[in-house]
Amino acid sequence: MGKKKGMTAAEKREAIWGWAFILPTMIGLIVLNFYPVIQTIYQSFCKTGDFGKGNVFIGLGNYTKLLADGEVWQSLWNTVKYAIIEVPFSVVIALLLAVLLNRKMKGVSVYRTIFFLPMVCAPAAVAMVWKWLYNQQFGLLNNLFHTKVAWISDPKIAWISVAVIGVWSILGYNMVLFISGLQEIPHDYYEAADIDGASEIRQFFDITVPLLSPTTFFIVQTRIIGALTVFDLMFMVMDKTNVALSKVQSVVYLFYQYSFTNGNKGLGSALVVILVIFIMILTFILQQAEKKLVYHN
Amino acid sequence: MKMKKLLSLALASVMVLSLAACGGGSGASSSSGSAPAADAGSSDAAGGTLQVNIWDNNQLAGIQEIADAWSAESGVAVKINVVDWDNYWTLLEAGASGGQMPDVFWMHSNTAQMYMENDLLLNLDDYIAADDAIDLNNYYEGIVNLYQSGGHQYALPKDHDTIALLYNQAIFDKYGVETPTDNWTWEDVYNAAAKISEAGAADGVYGYALNTSNNQDGWYNLIYDYGAQVITDDHKGTTIGSDAGKAGMEMVRKILTVAAPQATVAETGTDSLFQSNLVGMITQGSWMINSFYKAESHADYKWAMLPYADVNGNGACDKGERYSAYNGLGWAISANCAMPDQAYSLISYFCNEAGQKKQAELGVTMAGYKGVSEEFSNAFEGMDVSAFVRIEEEGDLFFRPYTRNTTVWEDALQQQGAFLDAWQNPSDPAVMATACDNAQKIIEEAIANE
Repeated sequence: MGKKKGMTAAEKREAIWGWAFILPTMIGLIVLNFYPVIQTIYQSFCKTGDFGKGNVFIGLGNYTKLLADGEVWQSLWNTVKYAIIEVPFSVVIALLLAVLLNRKMKGVSVYRTIFFLPMVCAPAAVAMVWKWLYNQQFGLLNNLFHTKVAWISDPKIAWISVAVIGVWSILGYNMVLFISGLQEIPHDYYEAADIDGASEIRQFFDITVPLLSPTTFFIVQTRIIGALTVFDLMFMVMDKTNVALSKVQSVVYLFYQYSFTNGNKGLGSALVVILVIFIMILTFILQQAEKKLVYHN
Repeated sequence: MKMKKLLSLALASVMVLSLAACGGGSGASSSSGSAPAADAGSSDAAGGTLQVNIWDNNQLAGIQEIADAWSAESGVAVKINVVDWDNYWTLLEAGASGGQMPDVFWMHSNTAQMYMENDLLLNLDDYIAADDAIDLNNYYEGIVNLYQSGGHQYALPKDHDTIALLYNQAIFDKYGVETPTDNWTWEDVYNAAAKISEAGAADGVYGYALNTSNNQDGWYNLIYDYGAQVITDDHKGTTIGSDAGKAGMEMVRKILTVAAPQATVAETGTDSLFQSNLVGMITQGSWMINSFYKAESHADYKWAMLPYADVNGNGACDKGERYSAYNGLGWAISANCAMPDQAYSLISYFCNEAGQKKQAELGVTMAGYKGVSEEFSNAFEGMDVSAFVRIEEEGDLFFRPYTRNTTVWEDALQQQGAFLDAWQNPSDPAVMATACDNAQKIIEEAIANE
């Protein structure tokens, strides 16, 4: 019974089939993800030529240029500000909605559908509609409230306006995840709490919140990553001559500007590598925090 | 058991196949996405389809009509895809890098040099030499030269365009302001705009609207009127920060003080404001006529020649005081097009005398071919568009400023750190002067990096 004798025929067959099944995904990942990642990292050290030809290695040149540029730091700060609004609000509101919709009530599926709808709409279409809602002269918002607020042109509030669209768009998705998390909580706890005379609010904070924390943590983490890579909202809502743009544009927006509008792939690549490192550090910190914050049965 | 195995094998192979199809088909062309992947690839064997990319939806109907006529003769189908201006270049560049460009597409002065120098466009020399229908002497010289590199021709001139002043007769009548004439100076524009903005304040009507992005169709022209150049003739420098350049932009600033605020034009757009009958005057290019011709209140829209700058103060328009930007697109073919003969036949059809006449008659754009201005002027029944033609005779033309990588500085000029600052704060002449100095630096730096 030597352990290294290899697999039996059945095991071999199983292994081959296993590989066969993950092969399509593997090929997809390698061709569409891994190769571009390596290319991006390589290009970030190059002064790239036109149309991907004639790359010249310049070491850390792109990085030093970026780190010395106020525009880059501003865009990083803009992105963080966006995340600070989008993540907490989209999580808290979604949690409340999920709790409300996780009961037996009339038309519950209608409500769930309504809240989930923004998720189904094309982000570009969503942004276009909001752009006109926000319009200073003819927008519905200003007409409704009889105000003249420059929702997306005033640098002081434009970043909030854009983040509100983000919250609205992602709410339904977070809600669905929360509902599925809620349904995994055994009902016994609530019955026991009822018998002990705990109020609904007490039940929410002492049963729902701790038992839901793995789901919450998952949502928070994916939303942080999602918010830090936001692009389409700024791109669609703000004209490039909008004066608030520099106070709203995200890192990925700037990447698009560098790489595709100005055709400087090297500088753009370096910028996304910086963003990835930033996200990695953040994720690492979050993973450490998970051990302390998340309640495991 | 066996059945299950077969099934899984079939499934797996389908997945691999679909993956391969994705890899081959994506990015092949910019077809609107509804077309199946197999169709989206560039031309296949004989009898296939030529993929054509353009960026102007206003011109689609006319271009399609001419292309259909060619298809009827040649038996080769043509699929025209419209991609908006910004994404057009992103897509074309991605296609060029990946070797999957559309077969036939528009070229523009902003990027032509880069594409030609990288051998991405088909060299048309031999085709033109063998083609009786095309003689390059019949086209606007500046446009022919634009699409030449190293003595070779890489695109055929599709059209040319000029700029004119567009005004809303109803607004002028309502506030009792005299309408623009060919003898107007920019000073007159300022005075009329001031009157309309003052009288129309209660109705939300402005006399004038101009954004930083209205360059070719806007403030570039004033810089030339006052004797400066955005890009010098050798494409290696600028005089935008000179006294003459500052004088031109000072006139712009003055007009801005009585024009719609920049936040408004950035959010709504000058064209939308005008078509909502909230703006008395804007400047526009001839390629946009269709959009205003088809607008709801088109009966009120009138064109006048671009105003001039009376720099020497003699009260008349002298040579060099009235400038209009002009530009011309080119029909180009991808260097690795699978059906170059058919593709050339198509662009020759677009650009020969008959095709150019038809393009003018259909009101698509002014021709790249000389001597068919008449047809274009007559294309818009009930709207006098002769201002675009008159300025060619009565004024001077300058070619749309370009360098090897135009977009870099062109975009920067429109944003903060350049003219956006002055547009935000038009009441302060010092801000505009600083913006001109900054623009000078931006352009010089961008050229140095090219």
